[in-house]
Amino acid sequence: MRSALAAVLLSGCAALQVVPLPPHAERYRPRTSDGWALSLVRYRPAGEPNGRPVLLCHGISANERNMDLDEDHSMARWFASQGREAWTMSLRATGASDGPDPAQGRRLPIFFDDYWQHDLPTAIAHVRAVTGADAIDYAGHSMGGMVAYAYLSQGGGGLHAVATLGAPTRLDWGTGLEALLRQLGPKVVASPDVQLPSRLGAGLAAPFMTVVRDGPFQRFFYNPESTDPATWQRLVVYGTADTAGGTARQLLSLVASGRFTSKDGHLDFRADMARITTPVLVVAARLDRVALTPAVMDGYRALGGPRQWLLITRANGALGEYGHMDLVIGERAPDEVFRPVLDFFNQHERSRSP
Amino acid sequence: MTALLVALALASPSELQVSFRKVVTSDGVALAVYRYARPGVSSPLPPVLLVPDVGFTRAAYDFEGAGLARWLAARGQVVFVAELRGQGKAGPGLALEPMARVDLPAVLEALRLTRVDLVVQGWVGALLLAVHGRDARVRRVVALNTPVLAAPPSALAEAFLADGGRFSTLASSPQGARVFHELFALWAELRPGRERAFLATGTRDLSRPVAAELLAWMRAGDLPLAQGSLVAGLARASRPTLLLLGLADGFSPPEQCGALREHMAGAVEVHVFSRAEGGEDFSHLSMLLGRFAPSRVFPKVAAFLEAPER
Repeated sequence: MRSALAAVLLSGCAALQVVPLPPHAERYRPRTSDGWALSLVRYRPAGEPNGRPVLLCHGISANERNMDLDEDHSMARWFASQGREAWTMSLRATGASDGPDPAQGRRLPIFFDDYWQHDLPTAIAHVRAVTGADAIDYAGHSMGGMVAYAYLSQGGGGLHAVATLGAPTRLDWGTGLEALLRQLGPKVVASPDVQLPSRLGAGLAAPFMTVVRDGPFQRFFYNPESTDPATWQRLVVYGTADTAGGTARQLLSLVASGRFTSKDGHLDFRADMARITTPVLVVAARLDRVALTPAVMDGYRALGGPRQWLLITRANGALGEYGHMDLVIGERAPDEVFRPVLDFFNQHERSRSP
Repeated sequence: MTALLVALALASPSELQVSFRKVVTSDGVALAVYRYARPGVSSPLPPVLLVPDVGFTRAAYDFEGAGLARWLAARGQVVFVAELRGQGKAGPGLALEPMARVDLPAVLEALRLTRVDLVVQGWVGALLLAVHGRDARVRRVVALNTPVLAAPPSALAEAFLADGGRFSTLASSPQGARVFHELFALWAELRPGRERAFLATGTRDLSRPVAAELLAWMRAGDLPLAQGSLVAGLARASRPTLLLLGLADGFSPPEQCGALREHMAGAVEVHVFSRAEGGEDFSHLSMLLGRFAPSRVFPKVAAFLEAPER
C-alpha cells in the first residue's frame, strides 16, 4: 500500500516542476496609480506583425501563467506565433505582481473594483505606451472577462476588440454549490482584510490530483477529455494565487443578490454593459461548471455593442467537451478556442479600419 | 370494456394502475392520454399533467417501468401523461401552435381538470407556457429546460432539424446514434443500452412542417402565434414556475432557458444541475430517465408541487 502510494506520488510529482518562462519573454512592471507594481510579460510577434497587440488576463485565484503555462499551453505564445504581439498580466497580489505590504502603502483589502479601476487601466496604458498602439485587443478568462465588462461598462477605453472566456455576470442559479457558498462563504471569508491561502492549498493537493480520475477537480474545473491531467497539475502548481478576501466577498454578493455591481452597490455593471460599444466575443463551454452557460449568456445579452456568441461543444465541431479551465489550457484550445478569438479580432480589425 | 382491459394490461405488479384513453380534438386529431394512480390513495394536490418535448413520447416520463410519472404517482398523486399531436400515439402534427391552442384545452376538458399542475419539457414546454402560463386551471408549472431565447442550439441541432428531425434516421446508424447522443444524452448517466432503446422506441419523427417551423422559430428568435408571439406570451405567463436546467442539454440548452425568469410575469425559481455538486449534468433525456433523476430531479419537482401556497 505504501509503495503504491509512493509510486503514485512520484509519478504525480514528475509533473510538478515549474516550467520557467522562455528567454525571449520580456518582463515589465508598470505601477498603478495607487502604488502596486503589476507583472506584465511580453511576447513579440513571430515574423511580421499582423495586427494589434493582445493583452491577456487570468481569473480569480490565478495568475499570468494561466494564459502562458508552457510552450504547448500558452494563449500568449500562440498569439505571438500568429503575428500578434501578446502580453500577459497578473492582477495585484497574484503571480509576480506586488503583494500587500502595509509599509509600502499596499494595504488589504483588495476588491474586484481595484482590478477594473486600477490594474486593467494601468496594463492597457502600459502596452499602448510601449507598442505605440492606439488601442489593443484583449482576452480575459473568467473573472478576467468580468474585469473587462466592468471596465468597459464604466467608459474605459483603449480596447479595440475583446474576447471573454467563461465569464459570468450572474451567479445565482440555484445550484447546491451556491447554497454552500451562501452558508459558508461569509464564515470562510470572515473579513475582506485577508488573503485566502488558495496557493498553499493547491500546492498541497497537487500531487494527488491525478490519483482520482473523476474527482472534484475534474468535475469542477476541467475535463480530462480536453486537458491532460498532468497539464492541469502544472497549472495548479504555478498558475494558482491566493484569493483576495475582498474580491471573494464582492463575488459572493453576486451569488446572494444575482447582481453584478461595485462593492458599494452603486454601480450596476450589468445594466451599464448596455453602453459598451467595443466588439465583444463571448466564449462559453458546454460543460463549464464554474461559469455555467446561462451565466455566461447573461453577460452576452447585456452587451450593447457588436457581439458574438461562441459555444465550445462537440455539437459545434469541437473534438471534446470543455470545462472552465480547458478554455485556456486545453490540449486543443489553440485550434478550438484561440483561433476563433483571433479570427474575431481580425474580423473587427478589418471592419473598423478606415 | 376496452378501456378496462387496457387498464388491466398496463397495470404494474404494485398497486399503481395505468390506464389509457383517447381524446379527440375539435379539429379531429386523436391525442393519447395515460393516467397513473394508486387506487384508494388520495392526494390533496391537484393532478399533474406531464407533456414531453417535440419528438419525444410518453416514454420520456415512463420508460421500461420507471420515470417521473410512476414516481409521482407512487407518492399518491394522480398523474397524466399527454401525447399531443405529433407525439407518440397521437395523430399527426403538422404545426406547433395547435399543440397548445387546441390539444391541451382538449385534454383538460376531456379529463374535467379544473385545477392542474403542469410538467413540461423543452420547446413544447415553452409553447405551452406561453399559451397557458396564465390559464386559471393551471396552478403551478415545472419547466424542464424550457427555452425563451430561441436560436439554433448548435450546428448539429440545426442540421438535424434541417434534415426534417427524423429520429428514425438517427436510430438506423452509429453516426445517427452519435448525433442523438450529442443532442439529447450528452454525458448522460443511463443504464447500459437505455439510450439506444429510447431512441428506437421512445421517439417519433417530427413531421417536415414541424421541423421546419421549429427551425424557423430558432432562427428568428421567436414563434409567431395567432395572438402575438411566443415571447410575448411568456411575458404574460404568471403561474409560479420551477425551471430545472441540465447543463448538458444540447437540444434546448440552459443558456437559452435561464432568461425565462426575466421574461415571465410570474415568479420563476431556477435550479441548474451540474456534476460539480454530484449526480450528473443532465441532458434532455437523462433529466427524466437518467440514473440520478430519481434522487436529484424528481424530489425537486415534488418539493415544488407540494410546497404550501404562498
